[in-house]
Amino acid sequence: MTTGTDTKWDWEIKEKTSWLGSSPAEFWSYRHLLVGLVRRDFLMGYQQTVLGPLWVLLQPILTLITYVLVFGKVIGISTGTVPPVLFYLAGIVLWTLFNDGFTGTSATFSENAHIFSKVYFPRLLMPVARLVGYLISFGIQFGFLVLVLAYYWLFTSWRAPSAFGLPLALLVILLISIQSLGLGLLFSVLTGKYRDIRFFVGLGTRLLLFLTPVFYPVQHVAPKSRWLLELNPLTPLFELFRWSLLGQGIVTPGQVLYSVSFTLGLFLLALLTFNKQGDKLMDVV
Amino acid sequence: MSDIAIQIENLSKLYRLGTIGTGSLRQDMQRWWTTSVRKKADPYFQVESAKYPRQSLWALQDVSFEVKQGEVWGLVGNNGAGKSTLLKIVSRIVRPTQGVVRGRGRISSLLEVGTGFQPELTGRENVFLSGYILGMSKPEIRARFDEIVAFSGIEKFLDTPVKRYSSGMYVRLAFAVAAHLEPDILILDEVLAVGDAEFQKKCLGKMREVSQNTGRTILFVSHSMQAVTNLCNKGLWLQQGKVRALGEVSQVVNQYLADTQQSNLSQSWSTPETAPGNDFIRFKRVQIIPQQISSDAPLDIRVPLTVKFEFWNQLDDTLLSTNLVLFSNGGECIFDVPSAAVVCQQGVVAGECTIPGNFLNDGAYYISLFVVKDTTTALYDFENCLSFELEDYRGDIKWYGKWWGAVRPLLPFSLTQTESVLS
Repeated sequence: MTTGTDTKWDWEIKEKTSWLGSSPAEFWSYRHLLVGLVRRDFLMGYQQTVLGPLWVLLQPILTLITYVLVFGKVIGISTGTVPPVLFYLAGIVLWTLFNDGFTGTSATFSENAHIFSKVYFPRLLMPVARLVGYLISFGIQFGFLVLVLAYYWLFTSWRAPSAFGLPLALLVILLISIQSLGLGLLFSVLTGKYRDIRFFVGLGTRLLLFLTPVFYPVQHVAPKSRWLLELNPLTPLFELFRWSLLGQGIVTPGQVLYSVSFTLGLFLLALLTFNKQGDKLMDVV
Repeated sequence: MSDIAIQIENLSKLYRLGTIGTGSLRQDMQRWWTTSVRKKADPYFQVESAKYPRQSLWALQDVSFEVKQGEVWGLVGNNGAGKSTLLKIVSRIVRPTQGVVRGRGRISSLLEVGTGFQPELTGRENVFLSGYILGMSKPEIRARFDEIVAFSGIEKFLDTPVKRYSSGMYVRLAFAVAAHLEPDILILDEVLAVGDAEFQKKCLGKMREVSQNTGRTILFVSHSMQAVTNLCNKGLWLQQGKVRALGEVSQVVNQYLADTQQSNLSQSWSTPETAPGNDFIRFKRVQIIPQQISSDAPLDIRVPLTVKFEFWNQLDDTLLSTNLVLFSNGGECIFDVPSAAVVCQQGVVAGECTIPGNFLNDGAYYISLFVVKDTTTALYDFENCLSFELEDYRGDIKWYGKWWGAVRPLLPFSLTQTESVLS
């Protein structure tokens, strides 16, 4: 070989895959692709539908009506001092973000195999674009929640807590997004290798819904079985979300810390696994 | 050496055949249980190894070469030789099993036309999306948008979802985006195998322009030797994952063609008992002799071919003639020529016919020989007894699309200026 060891190369492709993945500079150079992918997901989602983007609001509203009827009227779960509509809507909106973020990114490799096998770009862009799309939908739904909240505050005797809680709600949204993406990345590697994990993702989220205070408040759970709920790192986040917006929720700083560390730990693990395994997966999917 | 764009060192890629990673968690767990916990042989491995003795395949083995900046490399080889695997590794899509690829500059790869196209979206949106996926930025696409649209020639349908396009329009738009990429290194795989002749010509012209005028480094895989020879200055011939030859493109291509021409240029039989035929006629020998000086050079359309044959004749005092029928690969009869009719006795009869050079078009052909009695009754039809393949040769003609027609004779054809504005 004529090359000396002092030669500087721009890139190098080796057998080993890296834990760290692409550099921030590389991500930055693909920023247009990220925007393009978000745009694509949005346009694709509502192609040839009658109501189009209205579905972003229709979905939580229809779920809300069902919850109010089933859990409120038929079963009769108390929502404490908070009006049932507000209580359920807050839970539904946040759960939708988690559920979409997780299930939507958990099939990254199997869904995009045809593109991944033909062209290179940082693989992480695909799930991140998905999540950004879900966050936009969430923003619209959250705006709707705020409107409903304003209605109750203005026209009923219910009083909202002070607006100081809002930053906490934003923190919760951030943590939920990171957690759903983290789980999604981890499972995308698994579903890429084992297709049957996909069924588990669907079933798992449906079961997890019952272990998360989405349609019932923690305060109504018998204290001796609360530990089961508290194991779930989503529980403190949902309670904190309601506490900051609606003024009702049972959560301790310790529980929040548990959630935060779980979320960050999970995300780090997921990111490293995604980077390390992602390139190898292309031989399998 | 700073002028090296890509350095490939001892590159190998192993693919496991069959589905060793069984693809289902249950089976993988079961396998882990038997091999790791119970310390027994892998149940899946055994089942498959009994069926398929070869478990793995080296798609690439110890491939090393250096690509200098501005060089255009043509990769040739049979299907499964590892060309696409090599491109995929250099494009960072799959990882090598061994070895390393190093390089300088931005790479764009075009392994398929229309990667990232979304059928639901309009042409305009797809230009942007596909551009982003191939590594272009928004300002770059904006700056070339009009050029891309003009090249594709689908201005009118720009705001129609591409799923309503004809396949030709789809391919043209997709290639137009790709053709306007401006990376330092461009990787192309067989993308020219699509579209109509006119569009292929346009694509090749564009690629030629790109490679010659901008000094871009290109790796190009194609089965069209004509395109490879004309576009590339370096060639690499891969065979079963290994480098068979590399160097000047014309040399590499010639070696490759001489090796792979799947022709049946001669057959012979020692006794009438084993020879093909019937009670009247048995063939002894059939042969094509190319009238060219060097025997390793590939047969191209310029080479005259002499067909010689001999048969045992069992009939006395019979008027015999033979027809030579030439078919194209597609089964179309190109010509059917009769020999002179001669009265023959029992014994061996020989014939000879020459197909002139500069007469047939490029392609694969086969020959049938037809022995006739009294110029009316068929005695024996020796079907497909010989076959040959003619490579293209175009001299100075700078057009690389598929040449039309069953034949391409060299006719006296002149062009003269009879009037001029200047005189």
